[in-house]
Amino acid sequence: MLTIDHLVKRRGAHEILSGISFQARPGRVTGFLGPNGAGKSSTLRILLGLDRATSGSALINGKPFAQLANPLMTVGAAFDGSGAHGMRTGRAHLRWIARAAGLPRSRVEEVLDMVGLTYAAGKRVGSYSLGMGRRLALAAALLGDPPILVLDEPVNGLDPEGIRWIRTFLRERAEFGNTVLLSSHLMGELAETVDDVVIIKRGKIVADGALEEIIGTHSTLEDAFFALTAERAGDTG
Amino acid sequence: MRASVVSSSRKIMHMLGSELEKLVTLPLIWLTLIVAFLANMVLAAAFTSAGLQGASGAGAQSILNTGLASMGYLQAGFIILGILAACSEYENGQIRTTLTAMPWRGYQLSMKYVALAILTVPAALIIAASGVFYSFMMMKDAAAAIEMDKMIEALAGAAGYLTITTLISAAIGALLRRTTPALALLIGYYFIVSPLSEPYLPRIFNYFPDIAGHYMYMKPASDDINALTPMQGTGIAGIWAIIFMAGAIAAYRRRDA
Repeated sequence: MLTIDHLVKRRGAHEILSGISFQARPGRVTGFLGPNGAGKSSTLRILLGLDRATSGSALINGKPFAQLANPLMTVGAAFDGSGAHGMRTGRAHLRWIARAAGLPRSRVEEVLDMVGLTYAAGKRVGSYSLGMGRRLALAAALLGDPPILVLDEPVNGLDPEGIRWIRTFLRERAEFGNTVLLSSHLMGELAETVDDVVIIKRGKIVADGALEEIIGTHSTLEDAFFALTAERAGDTG
Repeated sequence: MRASVVSSSRKIMHMLGSELEKLVTLPLIWLTLIVAFLANMVLAAAFTSAGLQGASGAGAQSILNTGLASMGYLQAGFIILGILAACSEYENGQIRTTLTAMPWRGYQLSMKYVALAILTVPAALIIAASGVFYSFMMMKDAAAAIEMDKMIEALAGAAGYLTITTLISAAIGALLRRTTPALALLIGYYFIVSPLSEPYLPRIFNYFPDIAGHYMYMKPASDDINALTPMQGTGIAGIWAIIFMAGAIAAYRRRDA
C-alpha cells in the first residue's frame, strides 16, 4: 500500500505540490496522470526518498522508503531513462544493484530474460536505444521481485511491442496481488492498463477514483482528463 | 537487537561490495589508472635521464627523489580518479538507481569512499613504486646501496598522499556533482592556486592539504625550517580529507538527489 498524505513540495517561491493525497492499493494498477510539469515525478521522487517533502508524508506500507529493511525487495522503481552509466554494460549495471541487496548473480540473468534484454546484456548501456534503456530500468526494478512497483512514464520510448508487453506484464503483477503505481502523460496508452486513476494538474489532485468513475459520461479517459483538468483549474478551453 | 546489528553489518558489507563493483566495472577508472601509470613511467624516465647527467655518487635519497619527482604531475591522475568515482553517479540518472537500492545515504557514501580507498592504495603503490624502481634500475650503478626501509617509508607515504588526494577529489566531486567544475576547481587549486600562494601565505602554507601531504613522502630540504615530519604531514592532509568527506556526506544527506 502506498499512501501519499497532504504532500507539499516547494522550491524557493515555487510550489510544486500543494498538499496532495491519494493511495495506491494492492492488487490494483494505479495510473498517476497529468501533463508534463504537473508534479508526477516530484511525487514519485519523494515517495522513493530521492527528494524531501516540505511537509506531509509519502509512505510505503506505513514507512518512509529509507526506513524499509529491504528496499529492493519491497519496491521496484524505474524513472525516466535507464538510470545506468553509459559506459557500463547492462549486465554489470544490474550486478552492482543485485550486490547491494545481497541477491545472487543468477537473478540478474533471470530479470534480463524477463525483459528480453539478454541479447544486449554484454553491450554498453550508451549503445542502447531508448526502449532498451527502459527495459534495463525495468529489469533493475524487478531484481528483488518486489510486491510494489513504482514506474515513472514506463511506456515512454517503448515500441508498440514493448508497450503491449508492459501492459500485459503490469496487469499480471496486479492480478497476483501486487501494487503498481505508474505515472504517464499519455492517456491513451494507460486506459487499457489501469484500475484506478489519479489526475494531477499544477501540483493539485483534480480527480481520484476507479477508471470507470473517472471516465464517467465521457467517451474516453483522454476526454475525461481534459474536461476535469480544465474545470478544476478554471481554464476556459 | 543482536539480529539488527548483524543485519546492519551485512547491509554495510553489501554496500561496500556494490560500490567496489561499480568502480571496477567502469572502464574510465581503469583507463585513468593505465594512463597515469604510463605517463608516470615516461616522466620517471625523463627525470632519471636528467638525474643521471650529474649523478656521480648519488645516494639512495637521490634515487627516491628522482623516482618520486613525477608525483606533482601524477596527482592529476588521482584527482581525475576521485572525481570520476563521485561524478559518474550523476551520469544518466544513476544516482536514482543508487539511492533506491541503498537509501541509507550516509552509509552508502561512506562505503563509496572506503571502496575508492581499497582500489586506490594498491594502484598508487604500484604506480609510485614503478617510477622509483625504474630510477633504481637506471641509477643503481651510480648510487650507493639503497636503503630498503627509507624506500618503503617513502612509497607508503606517496601511496598515502595519492589516496588522500583521491578522497578529497571524490568529496569535492560529490559536492559539485558535475565533472567539469570539479576538475576545474581541483586542477586550479593543485596546479595554480597552491603553488602561487607560497610567497604570500608562508605561515599557513604548510597546512594546505597538498603541501602538508608532500611531507608524507619527500625528504624536506635541509634549509626548510618549517618542515613537517611525515606523521605531521599525514595528520594534516588526513584531517583535510576527513573534513571534505564529512562535508560531502552532510550535503548528500540533506539535498534532493
